[in-house]
Amino acid sequence: MSADRLIKFELSKLNVHLPVRRLSLREALSSSKPQVVARDGSVHTFKREELELLAGLLPQADRDKLQLPILIALEPKLGRGTARISGEAEVKVVSQVLEKEPAARELLIYRPEVAILRRKLPTTTQYLFLW
Amino acid sequence: MAVALAVPPTRMELLKLRQRVSLAQRGHDLLKEKMDALVIEFFEVVRQIQEARAKALEQLMVSHRALSMCLAIMGTLETKQASKEAKRELQVEISTRHIMGIAVPAVEVEEVERNALMRGYGLHMTSSLLDKASREFERALKFLIGLAELEGSAFAIARELEKTKRRVNALEYILIPRLKEALKFIMMRLDEMERENFTRLKRIKAMLEERE
Amino acid sequence: MSFKIAVVGDQDTATGFGLAGATYAHIYATKEETLGKLGEFFASDEIGLVLITHRVAEELGHDFLWMMQTKRLLPIVLRIPDKTGYVPKVDELREIIKRTVGVEIMIKKMGE
Repeated sequence: MSADRLIKFELSKLNVHLPVRRLSLREALSSSKPQVVARDGSVHTFKREELELLAGLLPQADRDKLQLPILIALEPKLGRGTARISGEAEVKVVSQVLEKEPAARELLIYRPEVAILRRKLPTTTQYLFLW
Repeated sequence: MAVALAVPPTRMELLKLRQRVSLAQRGHDLLKEKMDALVIEFFEVVRQIQEARAKALEQLMVSHRALSMCLAIMGTLETKQASKEAKRELQVEISTRHIMGIAVPAVEVEEVERNALMRGYGLHMTSSLLDKASREFERALKFLIGLAELEGSAFAIARELEKTKRRVNALEYILIPRLKEALKFIMMRLDEMERENFTRLKRIKAMLEERE
Repeated sequence: MSFKIAVVGDQDTATGFGLAGATYAHIYATKEETLGKLGEFFASDEIGLVLITHRVAEELGHDFLWMMQTKRLLPIVLRIPDKTGYVPKVDELREIIKRTVGVEIMIKKMGE
């Protein structure tokens, strides 16, 4: 059925803006042009001021662990208005940016917090759609 | 005596339909998440636009004031002449950026030396006034360009938002209800057929028992 | 890719941006003339940005709006205030915001 094909097509387009390979904070900081290439071929550049903000929030050792861009995962299972941040370093950084209690491996954040996160880190965060 | 029941073709249909409903539901839920994300991005850009508009307007007023100085002190003709013969040329570097997969324009201003043979500004005294006006207008240009980028992004996001909304509505109000109707119909038919079979078997059983 | 800048508006706007480094300028005298010049700017391959004052854009009316709908990706057209700071009442962006807020309200109504 062509309706099904259209739906599958739309779903396949959802994450096409995400990079093929992410960059660690350390790699990004040391590069003169910190950027990643997306699945659709577009090039996405990280703003230096954001990288420096992130660096300030983590101990040196964690700079290898933080993968950029930080992914804001949207999954219908979580319910509308809820997003998830995964990854130890990512969670550390996001908790601080949102001035929240530090969590363990995963952090659930809500829509107003997503808005704040996107405002403070526009080029180093991106949405990830999961199902 | 065992009566073999052939699997009705509609049972396969039932399974396929259930999968289709699941797919449509999934598509619907995810596109709604996408809509939510787009709305967040949109309002952030709009917020920045308000600020950028105010800043650009203010700078433009400053620029025009600097120009008025030139006009007042040097005179209109001289100033216009200087403008025509300005050594400087500004160009714009235009590329595309992507927000969530949406292409938006990215513009940067760069200075290019014009023909070096052309006269620069005239008298020494007045060139500082011209320089100031020139610099202020260049600043205004940079602010205006930043504003243009933001407005371009806002329109692009709004367009994508509309498109996504249409798809969500099509799924929610047309496709999913239709699929669910068909599902209901088939399940009802299957139930009916099941009952008819059951009744038939009971009759056969009764008949067989009577014979004995 | 690098492109040149063109300005369309009143004398002061043209002079000001000319001093800053705009390559081409057109001062508004008549509607036909200005539409023509604008057409030239739009068709040119070397112009990437056209600055036009709100006042002149309004004078040009529907013809200008039609040109905006049908033009190619470049040049980027930017409407700017002139020295009087005039900004028109009808704001495309506000219309779009209203439409989007409609979506927002619908989202909220349908329940989170």
